[in-house]
Amino acid sequence: MIEFGHFLAFIGFSLSALLTYVGLKGDRRLAGFLAIAAFLVLFVSFLTIVRAFLISDFSVALVTNNSHTMKPFIYKFAGTWGNHEGSMALWCLVMAGFGAAGAYWLRTGREVFEARTLGVQGLLTTGALAYLLFASSPFTRLDNPPLQGGDLNPLLQDPALAAHPPMLYLGYVGYSFVFALAAAGLIEGRIDQIWARTARRWAMAAFVPLTLGIALGSYWAYYELGWGGWWFWDPVENASLMPWLVGAALLHSVIVTEKRGSFRAWTTLLAVMAFCFSILGAFLVRSGLLTSVHAFAVDPLRGSLLLGGLLFYGGLALALFAARAPSLKGGPEHLLISREGALMGNNLVIFVATLTVLLGTMFPLIAEAAGEVMSVGEPYFNLTFTPIMAIALAVLPIVQAWSWGRADVSSLWKWGAAFLLIVGVFALFGVGPMNIPLLSGVGFGLGVWLIGGAIYELARRAKLPRRVFKLPKRVWGMTLAHAGLGVFVLGAVGETSLRSHTTLALEVGQSTEVAGWAFTLEDVDPIEGPNWYADKATLTATRGGVEALLQPEKRIYPAARMPTTETAIHKTGLSDLYVAIGDRRTVEGAPRWTFEVFVNPMIDLIYWGVLLIGIGGILSMFPGRGKSG
Amino acid sequence: MIKAATLALFMSLQSSGSVLDDPQEEARAQKLMREIRCVACENEPISQSASDIAEDMRDRVRVLIEEGKSDAEIRSWFVDRYGEFVLFRPDAEGVSGMLLWGLPFAILIAGAAVLIARRSTASQSEIDRVAPDHEYEIED
Repeated sequence: MIEFGHFLAFIGFSLSALLTYVGLKGDRRLAGFLAIAAFLVLFVSFLTIVRAFLISDFSVALVTNNSHTMKPFIYKFAGTWGNHEGSMALWCLVMAGFGAAGAYWLRTGREVFEARTLGVQGLLTTGALAYLLFASSPFTRLDNPPLQGGDLNPLLQDPALAAHPPMLYLGYVGYSFVFALAAAGLIEGRIDQIWARTARRWAMAAFVPLTLGIALGSYWAYYELGWGGWWFWDPVENASLMPWLVGAALLHSVIVTEKRGSFRAWTTLLAVMAFCFSILGAFLVRSGLLTSVHAFAVDPLRGSLLLGGLLFYGGLALALFAARAPSLKGGPEHLLISREGALMGNNLVIFVATLTVLLGTMFPLIAEAAGEVMSVGEPYFNLTFTPIMAIALAVLPIVQAWSWGRADVSSLWKWGAAFLLIVGVFALFGVGPMNIPLLSGVGFGLGVWLIGGAIYELARRAKLPRRVFKLPKRVWGMTLAHAGLGVFVLGAVGETSLRSHTTLALEVGQSTEVAGWAFTLEDVDPIEGPNWYADKATLTATRGGVEALLQPEKRIYPAARMPTTETAIHKTGLSDLYVAIGDRRTVEGAPRWTFEVFVNPMIDLIYWGVLLIGIGGILSMFPGRGKSG
Repeated sequence: MIKAATLALFMSLQSSGSVLDDPQEEARAQKLMREIRCVACENEPISQSASDIAEDMRDRVRVLIEEGKSDAEIRSWFVDRYGEFVLFRPDAEGVSGMLLWGLPFAILIAGAAVLIARRSTASQSEIDRVAPDHEYEIED
């Protein structure tokens, strides 16, 4: 079966190569057929890999290295993409999928442009498949198949992590189609408002799953790693944040191109860069260049090939861009204080924030080359990235009401006063009664300011309450996304500044008090799962009549010889009481268990905020009133 | 019996990861623990790692705070033993430190300067003002 899949992958490779030629030549009909055919062929090919995992076919090297007969069904299935080769196969499949989706849904009335977009997508898919087939083949057989396989990394045996890679790849690879649109637009020399309207849709189609994929990964890290945090500024996390940021800048810049026909060069450049940052992310994660707690498939050769691909595609796009740049100037005039100016500021801030993440991630490498050894981590990003982004968030509610061309600045002082009032009240309330750091109070004020600003803007546009629900979905999308950002800020500030962390060492039957909760360790039992065994602790915690039962586990997966922590989380409102079990030690002859106890206030707001951003993004993809395309 | 249990509880809290009595000092300790890298782990601060060395390093942070050391003194205590590598928050000293800390803000300021310098010189009246939502006007 796997040979059949291998064969089909070669067919898919040939079809993609053919699609490149036919598409760039401008045959829309044939290019559409080829794109859909390539996707179907690769889909069946991918299914043969999935099948090998499901039936634990250990004659396939990939299955032997990454699967085990005792593994639950869902993780046999999701294990397909829990490794380098399988995830690259998924990458190729999603890329061909975007080609097929484009063949079906891309309707701009410009057949040659559409054909060329599909052609460029074919070129990208051909490259990805060449990498899959010649440098990371999932189809390799073993001469002497073993009776049992290694196991999927137990940390990845988790529902959120099963869904995380497909989501993330819809985002990363979705930007390949945005890249294709930009390249085709440049070939045609027609980066105009119709192009921008199309590009905005597809950029959103990549942005939403990328947002949700990152959130899933963050939530997984939160409850699975047992560290009590949700974002660690790890190089792998940064690798996903960079394309997200460039994507966010693109979504704002492309609006100016769509509505006014300006910023055409910059928008095109961002459309190209979003995918370049996606490949850069893949390179950072897979090359082994950076040390990370969750880098996988470390191989310098594969890294160099990815870097080569990045330089090739990026160089090609930049050459095209340079050739067409003179034609990308122009658009109606605008003053600095205008909607255009505001969106330009938005892009400057987000772009500098992206460069900051890149700098912080790459700096230890650069320093190492210069003979210095250093580390860059959370404190650096908190002191650079966070204040830079805070500038954009502070002005957002003010500038989102500005007009195109030139804005009315007569009420600017009222806006400034409102901002200072809200942030000031929260800051004073924070340092006074709440006794939290000044900046945390400012952060809460900022979150409330953003939510209030989003609601105010919705009301302003509706003018009358009864018309709120008649507003176009796109306006609702913007409101929800900006309010979601505010909700996220509240959660992030709350969790970061109010969380508490205590380490306990308890004997069975012993009690103690942490953060107002009275803890008792009732029992620790050995238990067994399908492919693991564990120590399961039972703790009760009470606070003011509220009783929580917490059962954290420490699991050992014998096949992978690896321990994992299963945290116990008790939700009270928006906060989590979070317990992870640590080591067993002997203190004065008596056995004691250690526990990491976190109280994480407002953590749920982080995920509600991200969800709102995602819903807002989906809404804004719908056509406005009386507009199509 | 009760006395023994109390003593045991006290001992247990002392034995590992005992927190400092003063919540302000403990908050300081936890902030420092997020800045100091576990020397035997992959890119993890000592606040996260479950390894023994991280545990020892956490205890050391608390001991140093109890001795009345300032944040800077505690950081340099670790740097003296393990090198610059141990700090997730490198100093803004030397060429590399200045580049790392200065570049983001320098690019931001330079970018803003370029945008302001390239602004349109047209006068107010020459430019049409178009409401952001004019295309979305709801028909009454």
